[in-house]
Amino acid sequence: MGVLTAIFAREARLAWAGGGGAAGPAAFFLAAITLAPLAIGPAADLLAAAGPGILAFAALLSVLQSAERLFGDDFSDGTLDLYLLTPTSLAALCLAKVMGQASATLWPLPLIGVLGGLMYGLPPISALVLGAALLAAIPALALIAGFAGALAAGIKRGGLLIALIATPMMVPVLIFAAGAGRSAFAGDERAVANLLLTLAISLGTVALAPFGIAAAVRGRLG
Amino acid sequence: MLSYFANPQRFDQLARIAIPVFGAATLILLGAGIYMSFFASPPDYQQGDTVRIMYVHVPAAYMASALYAALAGASFVYFVWRHAIADAAAAVIAPIGAVFTALALATGSIWGKPMWGTWWEWDARMTSVLVLFLVYLGYMALRSALEDAQQAARASAILAMAGVINLVIVKFSVEWWSSLHQPAAVFRADGPTIHSSQLWPLGLMALGYTMLAGWLVFYRLRTRAIARRADALMRQKESGGRK
Repeated sequence: MGVLTAIFAREARLAWAGGGGAAGPAAFFLAAITLAPLAIGPAADLLAAAGPGILAFAALLSVLQSAERLFGDDFSDGTLDLYLLTPTSLAALCLAKVMGQASATLWPLPLIGVLGGLMYGLPPISALVLGAALLAAIPALALIAGFAGALAAGIKRGGLLIALIATPMMVPVLIFAAGAGRSAFAGDERAVANLLLTLAISLGTVALAPFGIAAAVRGRLG
Repeated sequence: MLSYFANPQRFDQLARIAIPVFGAATLILLGAGIYMSFFASPPDYQQGDTVRIMYVHVPAAYMASALYAALAGASFVYFVWRHAIADAAAAVIAPIGAVFTALALATGSIWGKPMWGTWWEWDARMTSVLVLFLVYLGYMALRSALEDAQQAARASAILAMAGVINLVIVKFSVEWWSSLHQPAAVFRADGPTIHSSQLWPLGLMALGYTMLAGWLVFYRLRTRAIARRADALMRQKESGGRK
């Protein structure tokens, strides 16, 4: 257990020390949701209807920002080779690694999501549902980004490649998380169902993705 | 059987037989299918002559998913048994599958304009085919970005297998998503059951497309093997003929 907490803490510390921690994704998220109304126009009903979708989509893009760094540096400096030598299961190490980075960098996203929902004119309850959906979506988004990042570790300018690999996999999370916000706004009874489905996808990803990430790391190290 | 064809020479012999067989079958079936779909079959009582687009569209959509299944199957065989031909097959299948997917999207769009009055409709099936196209693109991008052949083979095999789980969930979630909003255009239900005068050309075209895909896959596999051998010979020559 000591190994896993050490890796979790290391990733969290690295995220704070090297990359400004939560500031990067938060600032990106804020910039994205500021630009969207400028593109769509200030019509209040349109913004409120499109709000949950825009916010969920912008949160997805913010998660992709840090995906390249998670495995890239550790691939080139040999840290991943050391992971392979550890008696602890590689899947558990990868889970701790992804979650360490995610918990240090992505925690503001649901909060900004609620704030953004209010700015887009959603009723407070709908904004809170959307924030909860984003919170539920973060494990799945972070692990999928980690999977793509592990596959593309060490590739020069791999950011675009990671986005191309990860986006099709993020489709279900995006649908359910944004759907929760949209249903809540429309007064639809499916808001709770969407929220639970987001959570279900996240839990399923927590169960499966670590093995995928571990296989990817093994495959890349040969 | 798997290990039998791991020998490149045996595989080459198989490919030498398979290429003309698939080629002849493609020409006969596609020839007959095209004749039947465009000339010998009656126009639909509802859709008129636009129904003929179906004969090129439906088989393309079927090949798009069948080839992804083949890609994932080959990746699985490579991942478990480290079978070199399976990896080569996966590498070769991906672009062919991507082209069939693009063909399905394009013909579907052309068919959608007269039928639904719109080039593109965000309905569940079209959206999941579009996602499938993105999955093919991601696979090919990863494969070409990795320079080391073994790393490329392993990483892309893992991605192809993960894609299967992903595509199943995408299909389910996209259906949920499209039920969330009422579609703007009213989908006209197709005829009750497909008439035998339409089933024959459709079946022939589907078989013809399958043979075409098989032909292309074997052709490209053999070309790839020959190119590899030529590379190896060049390298041997450059290193001064030392063995």
